[in-house]
Amino acid sequence: MKSFGQRFSAIFFIILSLALLILGRNQNQFIEESRGYIFDAFIPAIKVVDIPRDATSGFSGWVNRIATTFSDNEFLREENAQLKRDLTSSTELVIDNLRLKNLLKIKDGTVSTITASRIVSDSNSPFFKSMLINSGTIDGVRKGHAVVNEEGVIGRTINVATNSSRVLILNDINSRIPVKFAETGVNVILAGDNSLFPTIEFLPTEEIANIGDQILTSGMGGIFPPDLPVGIVSEISELGEIKVKTTVNLNRLNYVSVIEYEIASFPVLLNPDNAEQESAVPEEGQVQQ
Amino acid sequence: MNISSQQEKSLGFKAVLPFLTLVVLIVLMVLPYNISILSDTMPYLTLIGVYYWCVFKPDLLPVAAVFVLGLIQDVLLGSPFGLMPLMLIGVHQFVYMQGRQFLERDFIFNWVIFIMLVVGYGVVYWAITSLYYRELLDYLSIIGQILVTIAFYPIITGILGLVRRAF
Repeated sequence: MKSFGQRFSAIFFIILSLALLILGRNQNQFIEESRGYIFDAFIPAIKVVDIPRDATSGFSGWVNRIATTFSDNEFLREENAQLKRDLTSSTELVIDNLRLKNLLKIKDGTVSTITASRIVSDSNSPFFKSMLINSGTIDGVRKGHAVVNEEGVIGRTINVATNSSRVLILNDINSRIPVKFAETGVNVILAGDNSLFPTIEFLPTEEIANIGDQILTSGMGGIFPPDLPVGIVSEISELGEIKVKTTVNLNRLNYVSVIEYEIASFPVLLNPDNAEQESAVPEEGQVQQ
Repeated sequence: MNISSQQEKSLGFKAVLPFLTLVVLIVLMVLPYNISILSDTMPYLTLIGVYYWCVFKPDLLPVAAVFVLGLIQDVLLGSPFGLMPLMLIGVHQFVYMQGRQFLERDFIFNWVIFIMLVVGYGVVYWAITSLYYRELLDYLSIIGQILVTIAFYPIITGILGLVRRAF
């Protein structure tokens, strides 16, 4: 009897698991919300279990920083001198850019930083590339916000709970990001394939990619602001598959920024009066009564 | 507090011990280690845990508990909801169907059975995930995960054995 009960409950839970798998494919609202509640509840447990690892890595990081202070200082001095030289020419370019934008009446979108967050957990799986961060709706994070760090694009939020959010990393098999080639401006899609080198899709046949080409966000889709660094073309296979090495080291993430991009409203090309007049003009082939 | 109530309390904690240790194993699987090789070869710690408790204390790990653990793992891992319960219940039922054949055997016997189990687990996991995404996923990483899981088996079962005996 006990065996029958055990077998029956196993069949029941197997069917339930299959049902959840099928329902979850269509981004079921209830399942998404349940996920949010569960990972919110587990954040404290993760923090507790993480204490030894955090302490160890904190200590080794401190030792490492002490050991490299001298060489880092030399490097930073040289970099600072170079940046000072670049600053003058960069300022001139910014002024030129602004002047030209004003001439063309181009409106830029606005980028605002919602919050800086710490990575609490990582998928650590070859098939799923996502992570949990310790910011949620309470911090102003919403589904579809871009996640970046000082090096470039990391991903976007796909599930947001009160105190935490799940971020889909740009190399996940489900990730598609509108990007462009920095030099030519050709718009393409960066598709994740679970490897550290996502691929470029939809490159027009007449366009040629070269190793070393820089890839930036195109700003299309309204999630990522334009011109954020994404990566460089690192490999082009004989079959034409273009691999991109991301600017962000996806295996060395500790802190990220969640940003919101608001697209500028399009300039009005026609005023309402002109539009009415134009609509009143009969189209070719129409006979006015 | 009399002796009988103390015994009841200790039994109550024993009853949730497998569940708690498996929760800890799930959390260990999702910590941000920042080690590139670990992101693709993280061992199936929960598989080791479920196998261990099913062999040594099957009464303390009912199917419902395995289902809940699977759901927790799906949520923390970011895998499709329902995938891990399906996989872990499969393992639970595999051991359960063997009856007492696995019980009171030596370590090497259990390890050999586990090696066969983890190979099957890896292949089924890869197949279901590929089917879910309708795309053939990279199977090489599964081989890495299987090998690392086999290597981790003595360590994890050793720790779980210490915990079992301590309580």
